Amino acid sequence: MKKSFTIQDSRFKGVKWLSSRVVPTQRLNYLTAPCVLFLLLTACCLLLSAAAEAKVYIDITSPAARKLPIAVSEFGGTFGKEISDIIKDDLDFTGIFLCLDRNAFMEAPSQPFNPKNWTVIGAEAVVKGMVSGARNLVATVSLYDALEGREILRKEYQTEASLLRPLAHTIANDIYRQMTGESGIFRTRVAYVARKGGEDSIYLADWDGHRAMSLGIKGNVILSPHWSKDGSRLLYSSERNRQWGIYLLDFKKTSETKVFSSKGTNIAGDFFPHPDEFIFSSSMSGSQDLYTYRIPASKLNRLTSSRGIEVSPTLSPDGGQISFISDRDGTPQLFIMSRDGSNARRLTFNGPYNTSPSWSPRGDKIVFSGRQGGKNQIFAINPDGSGITQLTDRGNNEDPSFSPDGRYIVFSSDRDGEKAVFIMRVNGEAQKRITPKGLRVFGPRWSPN
Amino acid sequence: MKKFLVLAAILGFVAFGCAERKAVVPTQPQEMQQPQTKAPEESTKAKEKITEQERAKVESKDIPSKFEEISGMFKDIYFDYDRYDVREDAKQTLKVVADHLRKNTAQKVLIEGHCDERGTSEYNLGLGDKRAKSAKDFLVSLGVPSSRIETISYGKEKPVCSEHTEDCWAKNRRGHFVILKGK
Repeated sequence: MKKSFTIQDSRFKGVKWLSSRVVPTQRLNYLTAPCVLFLLLTACCLLLSAAAEAKVYIDITSPAARKLPIAVSEFGGTFGKEISDIIKDDLDFTGIFLCLDRNAFMEAPSQPFNPKNWTVIGAEAVVKGMVSGARNLVATVSLYDALEGREILRKEYQTEASLLRPLAHTIANDIYRQMTGESGIFRTRVAYVARKGGEDSIYLADWDGHRAMSLGIKGNVILSPHWSKDGSRLLYSSERNRQWGIYLLDFKKTSETKVFSSKGTNIAGDFFPHPDEFIFSSSMSGSQDLYTYRIPASKLNRLTSSRGIEVSPTLSPDGGQISFISDRDGTPQLFIMSRDGSNARRLTFNGPYNTSPSWSPRGDKIVFSGRQGGKNQIFAINPDGSGITQLTDRGNNEDPSFSPDGRYIVFSSDRDGEKAVFIMRVNGEAQKRITPKGLRVFGPRWSPN
Repeated sequence: MKKFLVLAAILGFVAFGCAERKAVVPTQPQEMQQPQTKAPEESTKAKEKITEQERAKVESKDIPSKFEEISGMFKDIYFDYDRYDVREDAKQTLKVVADHLRKNTAQKVLIEGHCDERGTSEYNLGLGDKRAKSAKDFLVSLGVPSSRIETISYGKEKPVCSEHTEDCWAKNRRGHFVILKGK
């Protein structure tokens, strides 16, 4: 299978030299200029000011393949190694950075930053830090531009020792933002369903799988949860007492409410940008069809009415388009239609069985699970039906969905035997299991924040 | 490279302009004259306290059933792969179920629709729903009032056989009957 992804990768951007070369020269004081020119130049200065603040070291939207060599020094003090290791793992997973081997470092963590120690080993950015305290941690972190020999970020972080991992992820986010100009995903989480002893429960873990905990939500069968856009709610289907209900978990109110139930199979889909409106599929009127529902008004709106099975609706980021599964042509395939149910068209023509679509928050890709050689694999496709790409090739791989920046995909796989949750880059690289052995899990969904 | 040269030319122009403006209007705000030093100065002072909302566990409430359930009175019926029409070999079992309901008028039947593990959870739930409903339609055609027949789909979530073989899959593509008696 050809891998033909070229959407994002790392590259230096030419704005790097902006700040170093602009030196206002007093020699020019004698010059005077017409008023129009003056206004124009003021505008230029303002633009320059903005550019200097938002200096971007790597343009992660560029298709070129260069990774930024970064040295993450072992931090000094309590938990210094743990914290700097987490930061390194975070940056490494992105595929944007080349994290240099600490064995090659010329400068001990305790020594002051000297750019010559770093340029000689090829480092272009250097992270150094010191952690003090045992129960209450204070971490002071510096990020240096090794080529220019200057500090580009210095920040002090405080937290309790139990939040060591969130602390490290926050530092990684700041480094990521400084270098790329975009928000990192290192403090996001993944919700998934764990099946134990004939009962399902919803778990929440950090994006890297650590700090997994049950939310207390239990049911005979629970299906993949869906996040509201603000991350404060989870919507999921659960079969309880012989009925499929759609339930809402509100993190702010720490409450669970049944928002919809009827005879038949009700399966929750994505939230619209409006936090009270969602899409779902239900067999309340015969076979599985798609509906929208607005919670406080109990407003139900039917979108499809075919005799076939219509399930797994996923929404474009603005909520204007719906991708879903229909077997109206004989086998389950991806379709796309407008928000009001009009203009439906088939998206997939390859393979006998394509299901579980999920739309990228960037809007440019839809991932889904498709049958290939008797096994389910993860594929990505453009919303216009072009650019279909296979991303997995071991075991059965299902339930794909995107990270909030659209750069990573979380999915379930049985490649190790039992079903587990995996993450990977959007091009299929760096596939990594994030759930422990002995826990049977499925239906993962990445939090929006 | 060409692009870089153009950018450099523009920058030179801007630097020129900044200095000039400074000479003409000396009362302009300071940061406009030295944009390149602003960011590091500000970041030196940066501090952040990392906190996390304590997550209280939410207990799901159990609603007690109105019915007593009796399972295992009837054989399961089986379906073909990705199909939901009632097979010939299922019709005898369905007739037995219909006879039972005719004799026990206070009872209802719940039909569970199940699928094999191939395919994804949600599509299989749709398929299991169709299987349960086609069994229901057959009972209705035998004279059982539809008000006495409930259906539910479990898709591939409740297999009776867990091996990855055609034998096992065939056993999982089933309709299962549960008698419901009022408590």
